[in-house]
Amino acid sequence: MSRNEENKKFWLSLDDLKNSLNLAKAKDNEFAPGMTDEFKPEDMPSHSRRKFLALAGASAAFAATACTDYRDKGEIIPYNKKPDDMTIGVANYYSSTCTGCANACGILIKTREGRPIKIDGNPDHPVSKGKICAAGQANILNLYDPERLKEPLSGANGKFKPADWKDIDNKIIEALNKASADNKEITIITHSVLSPSQNKLFEDFKSKYPTTKIYSYELFNDKNRQSAWKRCYGESNFPVISWSDANVILSLESDFLGNEGNFVEQIRLFAGKRNVDDAKNFNRLYVAEGGMSLTGMNSDHRLRIRPDAQFEFVMSLLNEIIFVRKDSSTVLNSEIETKIKEHKLIDFANKFKLSESVLFSLVNDLISNKGKSIVYAGDILPEVIHIAVNLLNEVLGNNALYNKERGNVKQMPLSENAEIESLINSMNSGNVAVVLHLDTNPVFHFSNDYGYATALKKVPVVVTMCENENESSMRSNYVLPIHHNFESWGDFQTRTGLYSLQQPVIAPLYNTRQKESILHQWLGGNAENYSEDGYHQYIMKNWEQNIYQMLHLASDFRSFWFAALNDGVVNYKAPIPTMQFNFTTSDKFEYKPSNGNVLMLTRNYTIGDGRFSNNGWLQELPHPVSKVTWDNYAAISLNTSRQIGVKIGDMIDINASGKKIAFPVMIQPGMADDVLSIELGYGRKFGGTIGSNVGFDGIQLMSNKNNAQMLIRDVKISKANGKYKFASTQEHHAINEPEVMGFPKQRHIIQEGTIAAYIKNPDFFKDGKPKTEDISIVNRVQYTGTKWAMAIDLNKCVGCGICVSACNVENNVPIVGKEQVLVGREMHWIRVDRYFSNSAEQPETSNQPMLCMHCDDAPCENVCPVVATNHSPDGLNQMIYNRCVGTRYCSNNCPYKVRRFNFYNFRNHLADGYYNKDSLSLMQNPEVTVRSRGVMEKCTFCVQRIMEARQEAIKNGVQLKGSEVKTACQEACPAEAITFGDAHEKDSAIDYIRNHKLGYHVLEELNIKPNVTYIARLRNKAEEVQS
Amino acid sequence: MKKTVLDYALKVRLPVTVFVIILSFALTYFISRPERDGIGYAPEQPIKFSHKLHAGTMKIDCRYCHIGVEKSRFATIPTPSICMNCHTIARKDKPEIIKLTSYFNSGKAIPWKRIHRVPDYAYFNHSVHVNKGIDCKNCHGDVARMDVVSQVHSFTMGSCLNCHRNAHEKLPELARQIKNGPDNCNACHR
Repeated sequence: MSRNEENKKFWLSLDDLKNSLNLAKAKDNEFAPGMTDEFKPEDMPSHSRRKFLALAGASAAFAATACTDYRDKGEIIPYNKKPDDMTIGVANYYSSTCTGCANACGILIKTREGRPIKIDGNPDHPVSKGKICAAGQANILNLYDPERLKEPLSGANGKFKPADWKDIDNKIIEALNKASADNKEITIITHSVLSPSQNKLFEDFKSKYPTTKIYSYELFNDKNRQSAWKRCYGESNFPVISWSDANVILSLESDFLGNEGNFVEQIRLFAGKRNVDDAKNFNRLYVAEGGMSLTGMNSDHRLRIRPDAQFEFVMSLLNEIIFVRKDSSTVLNSEIETKIKEHKLIDFANKFKLSESVLFSLVNDLISNKGKSIVYAGDILPEVIHIAVNLLNEVLGNNALYNKERGNVKQMPLSENAEIESLINSMNSGNVAVVLHLDTNPVFHFSNDYGYATALKKVPVVVTMCENENESSMRSNYVLPIHHNFESWGDFQTRTGLYSLQQPVIAPLYNTRQKESILHQWLGGNAENYSEDGYHQYIMKNWEQNIYQMLHLASDFRSFWFAALNDGVVNYKAPIPTMQFNFTTSDKFEYKPSNGNVLMLTRNYTIGDGRFSNNGWLQELPHPVSKVTWDNYAAISLNTSRQIGVKIGDMIDINASGKKIAFPVMIQPGMADDVLSIELGYGRKFGGTIGSNVGFDGIQLMSNKNNAQMLIRDVKISKANGKYKFASTQEHHAINEPEVMGFPKQRHIIQEGTIAAYIKNPDFFKDGKPKTEDISIVNRVQYTGTKWAMAIDLNKCVGCGICVSACNVENNVPIVGKEQVLVGREMHWIRVDRYFSNSAEQPETSNQPMLCMHCDDAPCENVCPVVATNHSPDGLNQMIYNRCVGTRYCSNNCPYKVRRFNFYNFRNHLADGYYNKDSLSLMQNPEVTVRSRGVMEKCTFCVQRIMEARQEAIKNGVQLKGSEVKTACQEACPAEAITFGDAHEKDSAIDYIRNHKLGYHVLEELNIKPNVTYIARLRNKAEEVQS
Repeated sequence: MKKTVLDYALKVRLPVTVFVIILSFALTYFISRPERDGIGYAPEQPIKFSHKLHAGTMKIDCRYCHIGVEKSRFATIPTPSICMNCHTIARKDKPEIIKLTSYFNSGKAIPWKRIHRVPDYAYFNHSVHVNKGIDCKNCHGDVARMDVVSQVHSFTMGSCLNCHRNAHEKLPELARQIKNGPDNCNACHR
């Protein structure tokens, strides 16, 4: 090993790096300060003790007077006519499509007794391949959200009265007819149009009401990439990239593993090239970025470059490759050549103080992997950088990695900024009669610069279709409640050669209608005879007439349709037009970095464009880099923070595009200096009980004058008054010791190496490791039969947190709220620990999912006074809630800090029992106990799934095979980093990995025999780079 | 020393009283135990369905009506549509069948009284037991002889474990096929 790995210092946060006394104290104690504080009666929920006693007394009195039969066990109510295809107690699965964002992933919905209870990716879907993102997992909470609108409303100025669908339909149809007659515009504002049938519906709507105009927008979009593609190739549908064939990836301010494009697919393909048994073919990831993204965390080499310098960077690379190394046969026109020659890589490196050895090895890698590398620019970068990147990829022959079988397809291009502005102008001049918000929230998503909210006042009829009230619905005349994803019909196309279908899996819970059905009804021109089935029939007809005809199938339409619904997808061969690079430069082929601060507005990792903000599971999911929950912030580097004299949690004033907004500061290791990064989607004003006023609204910093709206230059920042507290989970359950920062390494918490060292000597890792004596203080049990075990490959894990979300849904994990996270009471059964090493400027990151290790000699078991936690013969550390009296001794004795205590009945506690409402009980997994106050809980290795597999094995009279059991986290992990199974099953994956040369246990020297094996991370460092 | 009333009270009256109190508690505890466990509970059902007639006299297999018992955790109470397989023709004129038909036609569910219950936190699974060949009788008693179904065995954790730990003794006829059941917590609680 060239680097001195043993002396590597690991740290959790900047406090830890400075060895702050507070964190040292925090790690000495099991519970964070405040975590075990006395309960304050005034903080108790509305059911106070006194009230409770009164209620208990009253109900006892009632019970006594009513003389109920104490032996009464209630009733069992069977169906009157049971649906044929279901058995009570056995789950049914339906394939469908998620509409949570513009990726339209294929999903598989698990229903029990007709209630959706768990979502996973559709394994038959060629893009999703059985995986979906954290929001997709938690989307189920939106279905059962107690604050969903339950009936249509009409009113004005934010005051609404319940109304009747028929009345509203009549009034709106009248308004639509009048608008058409008066030649006034009818505006439909929608998100990306992904559905062919929806598109056809729009066309039909336009022919019925000819003044209709459709606008589509996304807060987070790839418009810059698209327009760059159009200028280079004359086609705006840019191709899909074969990430799995890329040996070298250079990501420029792109979080392609975190939140850009179809990141779930990209994680899968990226991690597929990180197989330790094929170490020679590891991909190498270079990241050049100003912020600290999830992709940056997973880089092998990371360059800190401010985002507005990326153009110079790409041009310098082009210069180095074409003119210095003379390693390109691409013929360029002289204008571009001159432009390229202006940029020297050496000058660039000096200007931005970049490591020359890293740049040198980057160029070497790009040249030696021609046609097998990819340079990828981020969505927020302006068009001109995307063009330069396209050129670089052409020069390197990387167009070989553009997928030849599937390309991206858009049903309708997103509206240009100019179109939106002209819409607002005509709204202001009174030329718009009706505005329909089709499940969109432009009042929140458009920056105040546009003046959309004021323009809306000039429109006589504003209709918002939405699931929950939002900023736009508050400014409407009619608020029409719509079906959730799982109650709707739909069809989608996002790639060539692929259709996916959406089907309802539950009857509408409330008096809602699907948004397309509403339009379909208005299309008919009268309010009579609404049929829930109308849009379904419309889609079927569209398919029968168009898509089915195009496919030339032998089967009849009905059987084709039902087969398609069953699979959720229809694959067909479609030619992809070959694209020819043809770019002629213009004056604008230039982008100079500014000298001032630059502000990046990025997509957040959890709550989408704000549409998931009322989803507590997602709000509480820790940010993958900073581990902050329930918030956003302005991230800056340590140097920048020193310049303006702020600490974490201080407020700063941000002056951008002529507006001043105060934001709290997060000092993020790894940020480039003079760069601010803010995640959008937070700061909703009407986002529901959970989602309102969480975080800060950064959208207002955007300017409509700027094409790259997400990148704002010459931003002034200054210290402001005030302090803010972040609920970060990073230091809550710390398992490294305070005294020595090298301990994560010495105590075998994080073990790492390099590919080079591993290839040279596969045993390098076990060399010099302290031998543990195989003597235990307890009587060691011999496991003869099945023994459950897990392995986590840290080479594959990118730290996305999808496992956490999946576990929350599967195991009914409660949401605790920000103030409870602040005192360290979050309930997640699995967490992803993040360790930094090296300096605060150039940190290296290590992710480590941490969950119950189900130790053979579990320390928690020995100290439980009531034997509520003990060991099963198949190696599970069992936690029995009924038996638990809440001493918390087990948690105190757990070296991994994975046990969670119910300090409250959290369902009752948060926001006056928000998560204790009736509709939520439908969501709980019926196979897992819902825990109450005063009991300990922790990961069970999804014992309910083990028992289900056991039941199947007994039913079929076969031996239970461990490899057939999949835990929720394993099923959800897009990188397939998690393996689970029976360690005693011969030739199983788990058996192989447990004996892998890179396998290790965390805190192995405690000799408690944990059953989660970690595969040490190998960094694919370039040989030239000396650290 | 002269014996006082107090001595008498302490030495005789007190022990006797304490003994009687403990004895009466113990007796009450043991005598009332089956009652508390629900043994003998035979509530009146909304329809006077006779298991004796159907399962006994006519020898209809339990699984014909309790369709989930081999597939699922739940044995499932039959839906009226299963009853109507026969009763659209059979004994249409009897008052109880008329009641049944009206439930069926009106689409209303029949509110059967629950007799056997394990608590929510115990995840009992019918299918694993039935598929191992264990007869319904072992827990539910000889339902085929009951006009009105009543609970025969107690459904406490003790009774579950009694069989799980001594399977061969309790079910001698299955001694070759089955082993002791699991007695770890996670087998039922999760």
